Amino acid sequence: MNLNSLTSAEKTQLNIGFMRLSDSAPLIVAQELQFFERYGLEVTLRREVSWANVRDKVAVGTLDASQMLAPMPLVTSSGLKNTPSPFITGLMLSLNGNAITLSSGLSKQLDLEVSKTGDHCPDPVVAARQLGKIVTTLPRQLTLATVYPYSMHTFQLRHWLSLGGICPDRDVKIIVLPPEQMVDNLARGIIDGFCVGEPWNTAAIQAGIGSSIVSGYQLWNNAPEKALVVAEHWHKNNPATHLRLRLAIMEAAAWLSHEENRLACVPILARKKYLDLPEHMIKPALLGRFQYNKHSPSINNQDFIVFNRYQAGFPWRSHAEYLLRKNLQLQGFNIDDSEICKLIEKVFRADLYREAASLLGYSYPSTDFKNEGGNATSYLFEDSIELGPDLILNGGTFSPCPCESYSGSAQK
Amino acid sequence: MDHSSNNEVRVMLVDDHPQRAAMVEQALKASEFHIVGILTSASGLLFQIQELKPHVVMIDIESPDRDVLESLSLINQHNPTPVVMFSNEEDPVFIRQAINVGVSAYMMEDINPEKVKPVIDVALAQFEMFQALRRQLSSTQQELDDKNTLDKAKRLLMKHQRIAEPEAHKNMRNLAMNNNQTLVDVAKNVIAILAQDSKKAPVDESK
Repeated sequence: MNLNSLTSAEKTQLNIGFMRLSDSAPLIVAQELQFFERYGLEVTLRREVSWANVRDKVAVGTLDASQMLAPMPLVTSSGLKNTPSPFITGLMLSLNGNAITLSSGLSKQLDLEVSKTGDHCPDPVVAARQLGKIVTTLPRQLTLATVYPYSMHTFQLRHWLSLGGICPDRDVKIIVLPPEQMVDNLARGIIDGFCVGEPWNTAAIQAGIGSSIVSGYQLWNNAPEKALVVAEHWHKNNPATHLRLRLAIMEAAAWLSHEENRLACVPILARKKYLDLPEHMIKPALLGRFQYNKHSPSINNQDFIVFNRYQAGFPWRSHAEYLLRKNLQLQGFNIDDSEICKLIEKVFRADLYREAASLLGYSYPSTDFKNEGGNATSYLFEDSIELGPDLILNGGTFSPCPCESYSGSAQK
Repeated sequence: MDHSSNNEVRVMLVDDHPQRAAMVEQALKASEFHIVGILTSASGLLFQIQELKPHVVMIDIESPDRDVLESLSLINQHNPTPVVMFSNEEDPVFIRQAINVGVSAYMMEDINPEKVKPVIDVALAQFEMFQALRRQLSSTQQELDDKNTLDKAKRLLMKHQRIAEPEAHKNMRNLAMNNNQTLVDVAKNVIAILAQDSKKAPVDESK
């Protein structure tokens, strides 16, 4: 691509938000390997402490763009809980990366015999059923933590509990804690378990205070996780800047899809201004060798966190629909299918992804929807695009609603 | 929440700057406010709120516990508590506009002991107003949901029994009276029974 052929950036000095999480890697790599610079952007990465702050700062323009949880732009744009603040995403940052970890004491009570499975990881369904047997007999109600009410973490926690016949609203208490407080609260016995992104599961496991039971990947293979989000009005005012931003981050994500680069990335993430954590905590998940338990060997899963691969950057509107419907269900709201279609079309901008991908010469799907739950292995989509497995654990399949108005349409 | 003029308003402070917290505490004590707790780190915030039952929580906007506070009324139906945020942000536009975004976030420029009282008063008043509005909204939403449920049940019944709308309505009303159920409950049963064969349920892993 000839950089001179790109429209000049409307704004070159940008503030971009990120959290202390391993899947911030595409933003950090784009900064440290000077991908932003190559596209004429002078970026300051701002480490944020809460998702609410991230949301508010993007809404009011203190941040130009930020890493966000995939459901956040949908919920924020819907105005169901707050004054609506229209957000859009033209690039997903990562798939997978979370896990559910229980305190060592509780996981011992589940009697999982991890080593006998041969896989060195517990069977998540058996584990949930075991917990289901004892959950109402425990001396006090279990408290489990998620990182934000509207997050994959919440869905994954509820999903796993339901596999054991445990009602997430009645049988346990679910609270919200910031990712970096999970381990401390588990150690002090204030919570009994959590669903969180890396490296916080590994931090608990290495400290010997918790064991992971199931990864996000096992619950739904290659589920959407983080997105690059901007305010809709910011995009309207800065379309060329937004494009350059996506191009830089897509190149960083592509760089991160190689194993040797992931290794090189670990010491960068560990730096004080980024995750500020020892390398040994960051390494396992990022290199696809997550350890469920301090004393069990690591398990090889190169897709534990996915960047770039399997069209990870593509904002599937089928994913958006799933996320939105789950959120509506959780909040007890009903909105018409036509409203859902309008919202996901407005927020998940597949067209913006295609614009950047075609400039980079990356492949991209021509339709906005795919079915979920039917593929146990990676497969070819539209004859030439490799997509990852998409099984939903005991969840059957999910077909997006047939909103005919945008099957394959690319809006401008 | 009872905080009429005879009662003290219970305030909880979450601030990692002990000196600032001490100043604010002094200013609040000078008026009718009752400081029920000062937390320098917000770990254990949820439990402190349950224990100390503050009428209002004051917290630094840069605290990670904003997420915790926001979630209180969302996931577990705790009693919502108004939150006053203070910020070191230089930009007053940020603070003003942020009020429009957060649920119960009332912010001001860097915490100023002299200004604390009016800010808390306003926050409490706005919070009450917002809660009233929200109660009203959610009852309207409920009415709408009920109406949709009734309509859907009627449509299914009309199709299934090949009858007209008034008759479907009458049948459902009779069912409700005979079974001592509300009309909405009857409608839900009708939908549960009749909708099964007509439509494949979407994936629902959480129930």
